[in-house]
Amino acid sequence: MLDTVKINSPPTEGQQTPATVDLRALYAETQIEALLTELDEELIGLAPVKRRIREIASFLLVARARERLGFSSAPPTLHMAFTGNPGTGKTTVALRMASILHRLGYSRRGHLVSVTRDDLVGQYIGHTAPKTKEVLKRAMGGVLFIDEAYYLYRPENEKDYGQEAIEILLQVMETQREDLTVILAGYTDRMNTFFHSNPGFRSRIAHHIDFPDYTDEELLAITEKLARDAEYRLSESAREALREYIVLRRQQPNFANARSLRNAFDRARLRQAMRLFQLDGEVDATKLMTLEDSDIRASRVFAEPRSDDDATRLN
Amino acid sequence: MRVTQGTFSFLPDLTDDQIRRQVQYALDKGWALGIEHTDDPHPRNTYWEMWGQPMFDLRDAAGVMSELRSCREAHPGHYIRINAFDSERGFETVRLSFIVQRPAEEPGFRLERTEDRGRMIRYRLHPYATDKPSGSRYGK
Amino acid sequence: MNDVSKVVRGPGRSRYTPGVIPYAKMGYWDADYVPKDTDILAVFRITPQEGVDPIEAAAAVAGESSTATWTVVWTDRLTACDAYRARAYKLERVPGSADQYFAYVAYDLALFEAGSIANLTASIIGNVFGFKPVKALRLEDMRLPVPYVKTFQGPATGIVVERERLDKFGRPLLGATVKPKLGLSGKNYGRVVFEALKGGLDFVKDDENINSQPFMHWRDRFLYTMEAVNSASAHTGEVKGHYLNVTAATMEDMYERAEFARDLGSVIVMIDLVIGYTAIQSMAKWARANDMILHLHRAGHSTYTRQKNHGISFRVIAKWMRLAGVDHIHAGTVVGKLEGDPAIVAGIYDSLREPSSPANLQRGLFFEQDWASLRKVMPVASGGIHAGQMHQLLTYLGEDVVLQFGGGTIGHPMGIQAGATANRVALEAMVLARNEGRDIWNEGPEILAAAARHCQPLRAALDTWKDVTYQYASTDTVDFVNTATAT
Repeated sequence: MLDTVKINSPPTEGQQTPATVDLRALYAETQIEALLTELDEELIGLAPVKRRIREIASFLLVARARERLGFSSAPPTLHMAFTGNPGTGKTTVALRMASILHRLGYSRRGHLVSVTRDDLVGQYIGHTAPKTKEVLKRAMGGVLFIDEAYYLYRPENEKDYGQEAIEILLQVMETQREDLTVILAGYTDRMNTFFHSNPGFRSRIAHHIDFPDYTDEELLAITEKLARDAEYRLSESAREALREYIVLRRQQPNFANARSLRNAFDRARLRQAMRLFQLDGEVDATKLMTLEDSDIRASRVFAEPRSDDDATRLN
Repeated sequence: MRVTQGTFSFLPDLTDDQIRRQVQYALDKGWALGIEHTDDPHPRNTYWEMWGQPMFDLRDAAGVMSELRSCREAHPGHYIRINAFDSERGFETVRLSFIVQRPAEEPGFRLERTEDRGRMIRYRLHPYATDKPSGSRYGK
Repeated sequence: MNDVSKVVRGPGRSRYTPGVIPYAKMGYWDADYVPKDTDILAVFRITPQEGVDPIEAAAAVAGESSTATWTVVWTDRLTACDAYRARAYKLERVPGSADQYFAYVAYDLALFEAGSIANLTASIIGNVFGFKPVKALRLEDMRLPVPYVKTFQGPATGIVVERERLDKFGRPLLGATVKPKLGLSGKNYGRVVFEALKGGLDFVKDDENINSQPFMHWRDRFLYTMEAVNSASAHTGEVKGHYLNVTAATMEDMYERAEFARDLGSVIVMIDLVIGYTAIQSMAKWARANDMILHLHRAGHSTYTRQKNHGISFRVIAKWMRLAGVDHIHAGTVVGKLEGDPAIVAGIYDSLREPSSPANLQRGLFFEQDWASLRKVMPVASGGIHAGQMHQLLTYLGEDVVLQFGGGTIGHPMGIQAGATANRVALEAMVLARNEGRDIWNEGPEILAAAARHCQPLRAALDTWKDVTYQYASTDTVDFVNTATAT
């Protein structure tokens, strides 16, 4: 295969530095295309996110090529920020990102450790450092995903232990870049405030990806894919009901994009089961597979508007 | 003398890269890694000081290596060993244990013999290191 | 002889009409029998005499190893004799053989005394091996049901606790047998022990016939040997041991010797298989009560384990010894000078070391065996092995094994310490390389050569023994070959 070089190991001593690097071949060698294609196919929408990921992948590939040709630049910083509303695919994309970094040789194990404040910050003096270090050790060789990272920082409480976790994180993000990639995630506006108050984080983040809300059409497609994967289908009228559901649900509190639709689908399945059971007769495969509009329309989302207290039960 | 406890004591002292590879081997087996240190190398000194709890659920050796660095900084003159614990049924014990730091000078042991009835001898192994109080052996 | 067809007129009383009837008709053959989980199962290789129906031969083996006698006895009718009868329930021709059959026999648990190998063997191999209608007979394997296993103490120490006591993990243990076997005085003998232990071995071993002879009485040997063991321990900071052979004429003598070993601080004592099953169980009990590892030398086993058509497979002996409670047992080496087909040895090692093992005909294991948490026995590999084979030994035998290099230590051109060091360095280098993910089977010689660069004794060992191998066909081999996956 041309004069390509192994991606995971630097050239051995005494070996001649090649004059050229075939980027195509390097690309093929990492088998990254399969991952990117999978990402395109399996994740509905998210066009800007996918574009950013391809950019990052190309950048890292070129960094590899530069390394091959003897450029002695420091390893690239890989820490990232994923911002966007709940249910917009941040965790899913983080998982894919871990695999991509693994294929490109920037993550030795390719695993993702997903945590929130409670996993990092302790309850009493001396509790936080061991907790944070424990998490960091588990994430070494892979990707540490900190969801709602801004909860680490509580300016209203001077003695908040979150600051201790932040300091340890910052140090590891600087000194062990080859061992660990950190992805900070959360709502866009709150993350912006967080970065503003913690410039140390901002300066260590190399890539910022914003996750837009899904459109109504995308949410419909996502739900239909969920159904397909679970061997269900929506009847024509059910699809229409779902369309209306999406419009209504978006206006109600605690809307969480794809996550809300996953919940809706799960509830519809329960209702379908009850409906079939009450038929009390023989059912065929089609009946067992099909969600009818009544399974959707029974949702409270279609009922009169309600107070916020009930919001958590909305599905 | 050279204390030859541990799995690899007859080889030249392992480099950090070699240590990392052994740690990774243990992690890939699903074993938990513990770091322990002592200034009393008696062969029946079973319980060395633990440098923190054994580390469970790690994927990569980097975490263990950074703990090892801290332990070395805190105890530059001690023996340090890395233990790998296997929780699998039928083992539930240490599966690998090797020394990753030893003092520059190892004074060794005195064998004390107490004559007993007939030609019987009772033996006692005495580490010269323990002549000094704990904490002041091997310089530090 | 009576006309059999006339005698057997059907069930009921007539079954007990005085006379001689075929064993199969007496109820010792039952093709429909489904073995109970609590049954002891055995599989025999039967070579019937010419003209003897193999089913009848199988039934006879079941009968003679349980309740039957050659003729009908009315006193059977005073017992629940149907329950006591062993049943041959399956018969199959040995693959590739014209006149041999595997007969599967099930025994009800009520036939056996709890926790007694003597009782078990008196039944299963007591009478039947001399029985005329079979030309030859071999006990191939046994399934010991959990309720029966639970009546045995099992290994006094076991692999896990042995390693914890010795503080030695992650690699095979190293041993050597003192040579020459006979003639050394106690003082000279102890010198060999000291050199080998100081050089890097974990254990040195008495040979099977070192007991208390004119050239060296046992107390001399024990005293000098323990001086060597303790001195080597002081030189290395390691726990060291010497298998003091306490084999003697009577139990009283053996206890006396074992107690002396204990009082001198030994971590291990040794017995020979020839002392008998009861004596072995007694010593296992003693070893458990005295924090002692118990090493068993399988002296004499080849007289009945080696030939394929007659005797007992060693895997059965190994299973009995796990029940009886030894901690070490010589169990085959594959690459050495003694008998040991790789598949057979693997099956025996499984029986000694696994918490349970599935039936695996390619390894000669006819039955699934659950050991019910009985401790594990450390196999010992010895005989004609040297440092240059370290990659093969580690690949074939794994980690939980004692590798014994007698000649390979004591015969080293630079001396015994150098021989021991060569073996220890070779072993540690090979384990290190294996753990690093290297292909030791193919890169073994390279790995050893690299290790020898910082170890002159290993260099000398590799040069001296580089061409020594024993290439003879094994006599005890597996009968089932998995052609689909064989490599």
